[in-house]
Amino acid sequence: MSDIRKTEEKGFPRVKPATDIVEAEDGFYIYMDMPGVSKEALVIDLNEDEIKVSGRSAYPAPDGEKLIHVEFGNGEYYRGFTLSHIVDKSRIRATLKNGVLELHLPKAEKAQPRKIDIQMG
Amino acid sequence: MVIDFSPFFGAQSPLERVFEAIWSPTLPISQRPYAYPPLNISEDQDRILVHCEIPGMDISEIDLSLTDSSLVIKGERQPAKGKYYRQERPTGAFQRVVNIQSPIDRDKVSAKMKDGLLEIVIPKSDGAKPKKISIDIA
Repeated sequence: MSDIRKTEEKGFPRVKPATDIVEAEDGFYIYMDMPGVSKEALVIDLNEDEIKVSGRSAYPAPDGEKLIHVEFGNGEYYRGFTLSHIVDKSRIRATLKNGVLELHLPKAEKAQPRKIDIQMG
Repeated sequence: MVIDFSPFFGAQSPLERVFEAIWSPTLPISQRPYAYPPLNISEDQDRILVHCEIPGMDISEIDLSLTDSSLVIKGERQPAKGKYYRQERPTGAFQRVVNIQSPIDRDKVSAKMKDGLLEIVIPKSDGAKPKKISIDIA
């Protein structure tokens, strides 16, 4: 317990996760690279039009190992987005797989393009 | 494709990497000035551990090969289908080579992947472990 508190006090560097925003036929997809973040450590907050994603990567501390070469470490990921009105907020889905968070933001029904029938007078 | 034969290729100090990320956030992997994916290498008495951050890939898509004195991590990150509004995640082929100097137990090398973190465990062979020699005083 004291160990956990210690790491929290120290604080990890805050990182903006690399993000792709893609529009497909069935809505928008947001992909975020968050390696090392487990499902339990990930928090997604939706507040009106704001969506906030935060997570903490927790790599096991080296136990009796000697670090020879280091290029990455623990980090706290944080990023917020503003949603467009055409997104159906009730159907947003999030999946975390292989360290990538995928947010699916479907478009609301009324935003779908539709054909208008022309009636001959 | 840039093939780097050393784990110390390119700008690797954290500060340098921050600057690189600011100047060129969306370069393809092959044109980046620093090596991808980032590696951590550590060792203890019995084994060498290589940790590697590769999000978005399944272990079956990563090609790991062990030659006489090196470990090669290879793969390709595929872009998503659709219209891109913003792209920050790298895509493309990547390769990294880790040179291994000490004798290793080739048959017992194992790799696993969790949450985008690849862990490769390379056990050292008995010849590499330090031995204690007791000296009898006559």
